Amino acid sequence: MNSTKTLSKLGMGLLLAGAAAFTHAETIKIALAGPVTGPVAQYGDMQMIGAKMAIEKINEAGGVNGKQLEGVVYDDACDPKQAVAVANKIVNDGISFVVGHLCSSSTQPASDVYEDEGILMVTAASTSPDITTRGHEMVFRTIGLDSHQGPVAGTYIADKVKPKTVAIIHDKQQYGEGIATAVKETLESKGIQVAMFEGITSGDKDFSSLIAKLQKTKVDFVYYGGYHPELGLILRQSAEKGLTAKFMGPEGVGNKDINAIAGDASEGLLVTLPPSFDANPANKDLVASFKAKEQDPSGAFVLTAYSAVQVMADAMKATNSTDTNVIQKELRNATYNTPTGKLVFDEKGDLKEFNFVVYNWKADGSKTLAQ
Amino acid sequence: MLDAFFYFIQQVINGLTIGSTYALIAIGYTMVYGIIGMINFAHGEVYMIGTYIAFVVITGMTMLGVEYVPLILACALLIAIIVSSSFGWAIERTAYRPLRGANRLIPLISAIGMSIFLQNYVVLAQGSRDVAIPPMVSGGWNFGSETFQASLSYMQLLIFVATFISMTSLTLFITKSRMGRACRAVAEDIKMANLLGINTNQVISYTFVIGASLAAVAGLLLGLYYGVANPHIGFIAGLKAFTAAVLGGIGSIPGAMLGGIILGLTESMTAAYISSEWKDAVSFGLLVLILLFKPTGLLGKQEVEKV
Repeated sequence: MNSTKTLSKLGMGLLLAGAAAFTHAETIKIALAGPVTGPVAQYGDMQMIGAKMAIEKINEAGGVNGKQLEGVVYDDACDPKQAVAVANKIVNDGISFVVGHLCSSSTQPASDVYEDEGILMVTAASTSPDITTRGHEMVFRTIGLDSHQGPVAGTYIADKVKPKTVAIIHDKQQYGEGIATAVKETLESKGIQVAMFEGITSGDKDFSSLIAKLQKTKVDFVYYGGYHPELGLILRQSAEKGLTAKFMGPEGVGNKDINAIAGDASEGLLVTLPPSFDANPANKDLVASFKAKEQDPSGAFVLTAYSAVQVMADAMKATNSTDTNVIQKELRNATYNTPTGKLVFDEKGDLKEFNFVVYNWKADGSKTLAQ
Repeated sequence: MLDAFFYFIQQVINGLTIGSTYALIAIGYTMVYGIIGMINFAHGEVYMIGTYIAFVVITGMTMLGVEYVPLILACALLIAIIVSSSFGWAIERTAYRPLRGANRLIPLISAIGMSIFLQNYVVLAQGSRDVAIPPMVSGGWNFGSETFQASLSYMQLLIFVATFISMTSLTLFITKSRMGRACRAVAEDIKMANLLGINTNQVISYTFVIGASLAAVAGLLLGLYYGVANPHIGFIAGLKAFTAAVLGGIGSIPGAMLGGIILGLTESMTAAYISSEWKDAVSFGLLVLILLFKPTGLLGKQEVEKV
């Protein structure tokens, strides 16, 4: 059902783009790469609606250098192998700008292809530090890093929760293990020992042995590095087994699907997320535009994706060029006013400043700022 | 000391639970192999479809206002078995029967194709995200020392009982009934059985249907146990069950049961005393070891070269 909806939206987009093609000879294509299908498709949705809204707004305001933007969706299903195939497809389709990918483990291999082919990539969601540490010039992101998010979580645990026995579980993937390690280091630097540091297999369904182990170790706080399908099951099975520990996870667990999986067990989960940009009064009109299309602007990656498109378009305007090499230099030098705040990129392509905040997740899918 | 004991008991319960369901799915692999000497790679998808059908029935009946849980479960079980068996039957008719007598590799490929088709069919029909149902069977017994409480939930008990009943009736069917005798005859020598007037095509169809029904039982049980399903669960479950079947000796029904239990216990013990991340490595390592020393699996019999 969801895919038909996306398809019809895509169809609408194509129609609009087709209509625009009559007035403007050509368009500037932007590839929107991320999971449209698969277990984390919900995040892909967030990225797609944000990026598409940005393209629409920029086109309404007259486009870029007299040309209209056109978004083309590519599905990598959060699978590294498929991500490389998508990257090659984008190369073959002659597109020079990419918003994506979403999962760090997909973004990293795809970014190698983009760097080699001189395609400019801005990810709105991948937080693994490794993506920008390899000296790539074409790789940017409009979101923070695990190395920012981990310390926020670790500091909150050490200063506010003050648990007796902490366990850290991760899904052995680049994103999950990376952030779990960052949390562990922060906790240890604050003098809290981590009693258990253990990996699970992504896609696993049975966590009864793990939960018995948590109970035996008398853990009262669990940090999980990974995505919601596994944490949802861990929460659900912990509730059934009577494990009363408090749970916390990164932004990869913070969406409404976790409520569907874990039910009431998701109440009180702590999540580090980018701040609610949609609650910022400066974005009131933009939020209204999303609401008018019955889209939810509160998703963690909606407005970061909007910003990703906007910085590209602004840099194209400022340089009056679509040469990615000129644009990457411009991105490193200028400051951009976006719905996610004032963005300044450093030499690596990371944001100079990006804050994560801790939220209390509710069983109905809403969230409140954790004190 | 007492803690360590109850912790061990808890892990045995967890291992037996997951092992029983592996065994249920493994039967489907082993029976088909025993009779036509081929691996049905679409079997994991039959299990997945069983889970989805059970979810649809449970959600539907809950929406209609039925509150009596045993009635819902019985209906879900019945419908899941009927639908999954039809899928099992259809897989045999479309992917195996037209290719009977062809090179062995060909039905293997058509079964893999069938598996991809079924998975994508469910993705298109139901979406690729996790679907969830609320817990239906909750509660259980707690026992143990003051510092560590082991538990046996009613859901786990239900899994043991259902597996036991399924396995017993399957054994009775194979050993006592006329059709079961025909199955054994076909497994022994398909050409000879044909000459003696056994309708071998019918026997093969039955085999697929029985395997699919047991997979549907596993689908319902695991669906209730986890409360979550997605179109990709069939792959991993199929792989694990296939491992269990090979471990116990593929072609042997008691072997599949034993293999499932051993695999489940190995996984839970590894997770308990080593680490969850080593779970799969240790189980598959065990498989390699057993096959090195006993290539036919634990209860498999030496294949006599047929002339």
